[in-house]
Amino acid sequence: MSTTADPDVAGDFLVRAARFFTPGDVSPDLRTVTRSGGRDGDVFYRDRWSHDKVVRSTHGVNCTGSCSWKVYVKDGIITWETQQTDYPSIGPDSPEYEPRGCPRGAAFSWYTYSPTRVRYPYIRGVLLEAYRAAKAEHPDPVAAWAAVVGDEQTRRTYQRARGKGGLVRASWDEVSEIVAAAHVHTIKEYGPDRVFGFSPIPAMSMASHAAGSRFISLMGGAMLSFYDWYCDLPVASPQVFGDQTDVPESADWWNASYLIMWGANVPQTRTPDAHFMAEARYRGQKVVTVSPDYADNTKFADEWLAPHPGTDGALGMAMGHVVLKEFFVDRQVPRFVDYVKKYSDLPFLVSLKEKDGAWVPDKFVTSHDLGDDAEGAQFKTVMVDSATGRPHVPNGSLGFRFTDSGMGKWNLDLDGVDPALSLYGAANTDTLEVLLPRFDSDQEHNEGGGIHRRGVPAGRVATRDGERLVTTVYDLMLAQYGVGRDGLPGEWPTGYDDPAPYTPAWQEGITGVPADLVERIGREFAQNAEDSGGRSMIVLGAGTNHWFHSDTIYRTFLALITLTGCQGVNGGGWAHYVGQEKCRPVTGWANLAFGLDWHRPPRQMIGTAFWYVQTDQWRYDAMGADVLASPLGDGRFAGRSMIDTVAQSARSGWMPSFPSLNRNPLTIADEAAAAGVAAPEYIKQQLLSGDLKFAIEDPDAPENWPRVLTIWRANLLGSSSKGNEYFLKHLLGTDHAVRAEETPEDLRPEDVDWREDAPVGKLDLLVSLDFRMTSTGLFGDILLPAATWYEKHDLSSTDMHPFVHAFTPAIDPPWETRSDYDIFQALAQKVSTLAAGHLDTRTDVMSIPLLHDTPDEMALPGGVVRDWKKGEVDLVPGVTAPKFITVERDYTALGAKMSALGPLLDTVGTVTKGVAVQTAPEVEVIARTNGVIPDGPAAGRPALVTAQQACEAILTLSGTTNGRVAVAGFRNLEERTGQRLADLAEDHEGKRITFPDTQARPVPVITSPEWSGSEHGGRRYTAFTINVERLKPWHTLTGRQHLFLDHDWMTEIGEQLPTFRPPLNMHRIFGDQGTGQGKEVTVRYLTPHSKWSIHSEYQDNLFMLSLSRGGPEIWMSPVDADAIGVKDNEWIEAYNRNGVVVARAIVSHRMPAGTVYMYHAKDRTVDVPKAELSGLRGGIHNSLTRLMIKPTHVVGGYAQLSFFMNYLGPTGNQRDEVTVIRRRSQDVEY
Amino acid sequence: MTESTTVQILLWAVLPYVTIAVFAVGMIWRYRYDKFGWTTRSSQLYERNLIRIASPLFHIGILAVVIGHVIGLVIPEQWTGWAPEAAYHAMAVVLGVIAGVCTLTGIVLLIYRRRTVGPVFSATTKNDKFMYVFLVAAICLGLVTTFYGSGIFGPAYNYRDTVAVWFRSIFYLNPQIQDMAESPASYQVHAIAGMLLFIIWPFTRLVHAFSAPLGYVFRPYVVYRDRGPHDPGSRPERRGWERVGR
Repeated sequence: MSTTADPDVAGDFLVRAARFFTPGDVSPDLRTVTRSGGRDGDVFYRDRWSHDKVVRSTHGVNCTGSCSWKVYVKDGIITWETQQTDYPSIGPDSPEYEPRGCPRGAAFSWYTYSPTRVRYPYIRGVLLEAYRAAKAEHPDPVAAWAAVVGDEQTRRTYQRARGKGGLVRASWDEVSEIVAAAHVHTIKEYGPDRVFGFSPIPAMSMASHAAGSRFISLMGGAMLSFYDWYCDLPVASPQVFGDQTDVPESADWWNASYLIMWGANVPQTRTPDAHFMAEARYRGQKVVTVSPDYADNTKFADEWLAPHPGTDGALGMAMGHVVLKEFFVDRQVPRFVDYVKKYSDLPFLVSLKEKDGAWVPDKFVTSHDLGDDAEGAQFKTVMVDSATGRPHVPNGSLGFRFTDSGMGKWNLDLDGVDPALSLYGAANTDTLEVLLPRFDSDQEHNEGGGIHRRGVPAGRVATRDGERLVTTVYDLMLAQYGVGRDGLPGEWPTGYDDPAPYTPAWQEGITGVPADLVERIGREFAQNAEDSGGRSMIVLGAGTNHWFHSDTIYRTFLALITLTGCQGVNGGGWAHYVGQEKCRPVTGWANLAFGLDWHRPPRQMIGTAFWYVQTDQWRYDAMGADVLASPLGDGRFAGRSMIDTVAQSARSGWMPSFPSLNRNPLTIADEAAAAGVAAPEYIKQQLLSGDLKFAIEDPDAPENWPRVLTIWRANLLGSSSKGNEYFLKHLLGTDHAVRAEETPEDLRPEDVDWREDAPVGKLDLLVSLDFRMTSTGLFGDILLPAATWYEKHDLSSTDMHPFVHAFTPAIDPPWETRSDYDIFQALAQKVSTLAAGHLDTRTDVMSIPLLHDTPDEMALPGGVVRDWKKGEVDLVPGVTAPKFITVERDYTALGAKMSALGPLLDTVGTVTKGVAVQTAPEVEVIARTNGVIPDGPAAGRPALVTAQQACEAILTLSGTTNGRVAVAGFRNLEERTGQRLADLAEDHEGKRITFPDTQARPVPVITSPEWSGSEHGGRRYTAFTINVERLKPWHTLTGRQHLFLDHDWMTEIGEQLPTFRPPLNMHRIFGDQGTGQGKEVTVRYLTPHSKWSIHSEYQDNLFMLSLSRGGPEIWMSPVDADAIGVKDNEWIEAYNRNGVVVARAIVSHRMPAGTVYMYHAKDRTVDVPKAELSGLRGGIHNSLTRLMIKPTHVVGGYAQLSFFMNYLGPTGNQRDEVTVIRRRSQDVEY
Repeated sequence: MTESTTVQILLWAVLPYVTIAVFAVGMIWRYRYDKFGWTTRSSQLYERNLIRIASPLFHIGILAVVIGHVIGLVIPEQWTGWAPEAAYHAMAVVLGVIAGVCTLTGIVLLIYRRRTVGPVFSATTKNDKFMYVFLVAAICLGLVTTFYGSGIFGPAYNYRDTVAVWFRSIFYLNPQIQDMAESPASYQVHAIAGMLLFIIWPFTRLVHAFSAPLGYVFRPYVVYRDRGPHDPGSRPERRGWERVGR
């Protein structure tokens, strides 16, 4: 550098001139001055950054961040937190994971000493008085509780007080006694399946989740699912992949060269990961966003597609049309063709059935159809060998998975056979006209749509029922997407500009997105996949997933990535991010959480159906199941309401249903024993005689109500309670703003009893554990003060990164707070004590559904539905009805079992997703690490007394964190698949990640059969790479990714193939919902995720309130605001049949006309005035929503369409809702 | 010389010294006990467009006003006797009015901004609002006085014979009470407002006037400070933590 080149001549002059007056020595180059002393201020800064300790912890808030933080403690007080920077490197040529963290997480320490902190145990005053009065009369706590709830007036008095304050402090001893007494009484009086627990997302704090879940499960209570209830479960994932959800970690976005963010606002909802997307753009990645509003991520996008809300499926269909036309028909891309032949069901044969003078697709052709009577033949699907033109039964389908003869053959190895993708032009084939349903037209009377006529080539196959016409899934796909080939009959679009299904021009009329843009994006997506070897990725999430028909929307996306060979490829495929779903050490967590070490199976309930039934939303659901039926359906749903389909699912054993039967299961077991009959047989007889009924057939009968519910790590009533006002009315029995009328008589259910007076206040006791006050606490009867994430030991993992890391207490739980783990240990001890003389040891008989990843999924060959209740088939427990399984429970040993690892892990081992591991060596390790229980019912068993011990057990039992378990699991899978797999983990066989390891630094996990991807050799995790690279089948019927689904009910609603279904027409189904007074506007009501909160967390945090407007607010477009004369920041009221919300309007050009946003989880703790319409305080975002059940989500017992908790179940969708909005008086009252 | 009344003594002899005492002691106290509060609490982060115009307008204006006061009050009239009285006067009025108007416009804009821009208003303390009353009062009264004494609207008034003499007399410790007591009311009120402003000064964010970064212009941009004569570590030694091995 040359000093003469310094441009700052004037500056130099001043400094030079002043240097004789400047204290200290000025350097010759005039850049520095050196002074003596003046460092007294240093002390302040040294003190500021000197701490008692700096502790590693994280936040369990279901944000997917799972960011490791440094928590600082000074003079015994938590001062603040900063991001950890010690994530292990992910190798060269990629950006790193750190820094991770966002402003919300950085604001967390505020809660520790905030006014919203729950410091002591609280109980509703009227309840406490009633209990104390009862106890004076009945010294036995269980008898006292029985007296409280036995007196209807007392019971209603404290129920009516819910949500109205009056919480008083009580001692830990007294509240524990009441909680324990309520559990003992309920189990004794009504049965263990009237006891429920709700706590979501184990990955966000595994030991805390497991503690309560173990408490509930060991008692025989039911844990409620959350993934489907949150509507985060994309049902398309079990349908297509046979997997709950598996996705790439965020660092794999870096590997994508074409990225579509479709209903996922990455910078806003994946804040700590968004940098990978921003950085990948510098690597040449093209970024496309699809969002109806000008979302934050649109700023990063090269192209922005803004479809009308809920029409994404039309966009997906049109892109699929372009891909099939240009990359499969006009020109065949070898990579794509090879991929779909090997990894999708496209080459498989589907039989055709005559209908109305044409043909419709029926069922997959199976080996059984061809005359094979061997085991599993009904589940071995068939393709055509292109060399011979004859049917061929390849390896890998479900028929090979659980049979002895299938050992070593459950794989995707085609053994040199080249399957025919299409029968087009093959010898001895015909062309046939097929009828396919379409749902974009004929929507005037119901959701059922119309029909379009297309054609397919068809071959003849000799079956045991005579000759049948068959075609391939690929040929059906071309027919469905409207991609014609010469010589095929039917009506076909003439080109992209023909507005017939499913062309780009057709979608323009539905989505509003220009046809040429969709055509180009579809082409680019596929072209990039061809050029890059499959590195086209779709990041998708709640924006497209929370719709009633989200499974159809997602199937159009999954078709795009499967057709272009992107799934199972680093940098490609689907990347579905919703909650913090990936509990990487899943096996250890599941065994602890459900008490599988002591009793199997546990009771697990589908959340959505539970709430739909128990909050009596079914009584207001006038949308019958047949409204959804395809015009080509067989009338299976005629006259049936949604709850009828749920009831059928329950009695058929497809989905779980708790409470199960209309008598206490403990009593039923006693009755069976007295009758000298095995319990399953006894229940069968009783069901057939009608003496015993399923509880869901009369859900409003008092004996069928849920009685005790415990909620922890969750804010049900301020966040996820879709149909919030119905919860308040029927479940809790307090003030509510329900405006809906009950279903008129002619639309009421067939199989479910209707009681004239709907029950009000079903729950006897609502217990909530939290460290801050939320709506759930405000409505609960008992509120227990929990430790925060900076006050306990626990484990965290996420989908977004490959590490497990620890929570560590920075301080002891302050005031009278305790960790969830310690609270449930104490409650279990208390229940044990009170159970003596009331319960002791009882036999419990459980109704358990047909489970996925077990031979149960072969219960319904061909997905053919038969109902024993209608006499269509015999009642066979475990085939056409639930399994009835007995378990002996010593209730006095509950506390002992809670705090010790049970013996089933020594003898039976663990099974995760069908992969078994013998875990005796692991139990030995845990015993030596944790120590053993010296005496009592669990004497000699490894200790689980503390959360650290639980974390150690979770890590030791899981393949992702224990190399021996991973290798043993892979060896088990090698036997079944005949493929080499163990090498993926062998280099880590001796590695065991311990809890102290995770406290020292985030630790990358080991490749394990618990998941479908591989981290082997330091590669980035993405889903299904083991399937693609090691030929391990997907857990589906064909063992491949499914584009075609042949279950009877899928056929009935016309969703065999990817299709477009518009959002539900609420106006037609439920009528006008305005008041008819003043200026009103009816708009689509969406509740996306907020920038300033994570669910309801942080929206009450002072820092986040300062950064945002704060309080309830609804974003609306200037057009809609003008229509009702509202200006920005004015108070408005939004209402529909479900309830009322008061909010401030945020009028913004960001919003499209006709759609409003109220950010998800606006709790009623901040700035919530009384509504004019109801006169009540409130309304949260979910006061305007309600549950709608889709019948195809409750099917079961058939291949990938089988139940597993959080794997399959009806979704708690809410995006199809509409609301009316008006300006309200600007004088608000609180 | 007329005898001064008690009120006159309180206002023009006692109050000035009280002002000086409170100001001096207050500044020392503030500096010692609230160094981290010695700040303007800048609101530039919350709003940029208005402050970009208003702040320089006000600050340049107020600097000119300060210079005007120094010339008018500190320099005896005799020293500028070489200049024609009318020219001096006209110049003072013209520059004074320009400076005053700049200052007033600036402060009006700043207050408007403070009240109407939500985040800025939220960051405004009671102390700020209190201080604004005194600051604006002093500025407005000053402008009124300028107009009054200018001769434009009536007979001109030569404050340099009276007010300035009184002002200097305070620092000779011989306050000329009558010089001030006989000057027009507007000068008296302005002087009182000014003194009150200086009384509250140390307790408001006006203290930032004494930390204007003038030195930046004249010094190299990197400053090193050595640890001084003692051993490594800047923390004073405490009992039980004395160094060993010396």
